Amino acid sequence: MLPWDKVHGAMTHFPIALLLFSTACDFGSVMFKKLPLARELRSASLYALAIAALASLGAVISGIALSKGDMWGRGDFGWHHRFVWPAFGLLVALAVWRLVVREAMSRFGLCLYLCLMLLASGLIAAAGYFGGELLLSGGGVP
Amino acid sequence: MTPLEIRAAIAAVITSAVILVATFSAGEIYRKHYATQTQPGTKPLAPEDLGVKGRSYFLQSCAHCHGRDADGGEDAPSLLKLQISGTHMALVIQSGIKGEMPSFAKKYNEQDVAAIVAYLQTLH
Repeated sequence: MLPWDKVHGAMTHFPIALLLFSTACDFGSVMFKKLPLARELRSASLYALAIAALASLGAVISGIALSKGDMWGRGDFGWHHRFVWPAFGLLVALAVWRLVVREAMSRFGLCLYLCLMLLASGLIAAAGYFGGELLLSGGGVP
Repeated sequence: MTPLEIRAAIAAVITSAVILVATFSAGEIYRKHYATQTQPGTKPLAPEDLGVKGRSYFLQSCAHCHGRDADGGEDAPSLLKLQISGTHMALVIQSGIKGEMPSFAKKYNEQDVAAIVAYLQTLH
């Protein structure tokens, strides 16, 4: 039997860090769009997002094993899940969209993509926050 | 949006929906499987018997911090009217709380933890 609490704790950091890094690279590439660096930032953000989506599968599988299949729950546990599921769905969708479109983004497509990346980053950060609360404070035990 | 972006968006939504449905289905299957695994034998204990067993474990391992009536002690909070799920209670009992409460995973197996959770749920 694997120590799922430790596996989940280790796995979750990859999608969180990579998604935030990818979002930062995307915004960096827009800010420095006239510099050669912009192309490299877009590349970095694409690969970081793809790896984040793959890593999120591991984080979700270990989380399900840890919670014994309880997909919602109450208290901090419930809040963790309320943020995790939209973040997971959005992360996968953004990764698929980005991998298909690559550099062929219209102005409107780029704006929408950046807004959704910000939303996904917020959701995953909130999910991580409540996950941390579960670990450090006993997850809402009064 | 360009036609490529629209096609990509459709693919993205479908992929995401399929993965979410598969995840929730797998979770549900695992939850049911776990429920049957933790109730081996022909006849599971009645909830009241489970609660009695859980209270004896509680008095043995939890009462010295949380109080005999689970209403809290000097160093540990009251466990009356907990607003968390049974699965979450089990997780806390098994994993402990860093720097505050030890893990009981080695002392109690999953059935014992289920009995403690059943007892705590009677305190609502």
